[in-house]
Amino acid sequence: MSSTFSGDETAPFFGFLGAAAALVFSCMGAAYGTAKSGVGVASMGVMRPELVMKSIVPVVMAGVLGIYGLIIAVIISTGINPKAKSYYLFDGYAHLSSGLACGLAGLSAGMAIGIVGDAGVRYFSCLIVRLYHCLIY
Amino acid sequence: MSASAIVVGASSSWSRAMLQISPYTFAAIGIAIAIGVSVLGAAWGIFITGSSLIGAAVKAPRITSKNLIRSETKDDHFVHFMPKISVIFCEAVAIYGVIVAIILQTKLENVPSSQIYAPESLRAGYAIFASGIIVGFANLVCGLCVGIIGSSCALSDAQNSSLFVKILVIENLVVHLGCLE
Repeated sequence: MSSTFSGDETAPFFGFLGAAAALVFSCMGAAYGTAKSGVGVASMGVMRPELVMKSIVPVVMAGVLGIYGLIIAVIISTGINPKAKSYYLFDGYAHLSSGLACGLAGLSAGMAIGIVGDAGVRYFSCLIVRLYHCLIY
Repeated sequence: MSASAIVVGASSSWSRAMLQISPYTFAAIGIAIAIGVSVLGAAWGIFITGSSLIGAAVKAPRITSKNLIRSETKDDHFVHFMPKISVIFCEAVAIYGVIVAIILQTKLENVPSSQIYAPESLRAGYAIFASGIIVGFANLVCGLCVGIIGSSCALSDAQNSSLFVKILVIENLVVHLGCLE
């Protein structure tokens, strides 16, 4: 039964968990960034409704983080194919750590976008040009 | 059962222990998390939006509006409609969790008991577990995010019912799709 199978049997657990970590944590970052920036946009829009369209930028940037996590998760899960290539514990651990790296980086980036975006769009109503460039970068 | 004691690659005790856990366990827990945590996120979002919506509805009479008398009833309908879309988005998050749980449950097949601990079955169990975790927790944060944005949308709509509330709702839709994909 196991004669044609090589590779470790528990390894896909870590591989799939890596894909899950990539998606879930970057989704958390995207959600945090969108929510915090959106609250700032709503507060600012009460005073200056005409600036709302320009202030959507941090929301869009936060949404892109979810896409990054999705790409990594798809790459990882298509790489787990024990029929094509033996999947050892090494591969499983590598996929887990790459998923965690991408996901936690996305989480922290999303939190940063949220905090900066919230402060930026609130002060955007005061200073028009300079802070707008800071907001994008 | 004794066949799994001589498995390939079981080098340490924890891996031998984990190989004894049936893949049905992992799959069932994954499906439960997919539906349970999604509905938790949707409920949390609806709670956040709904409480702000009802509080803003107290302030519904358009004090700063120009057409104070004539269009007051029209504006009441308007002020309640737009943030309600956030509640509908949260509901869709819960529906999505239910759909994925049903799809994952159809993947559970009846495997002959000699094959339960085969590598392919184990891999399938781990895959369903990971899918369930992904869907559950992504929907949890999506519901929270939509709820927070809907709440601020309701509050700012009560103050200034301009066009920008529609933009916030569109932004809600964008984060909704982003989190669900």
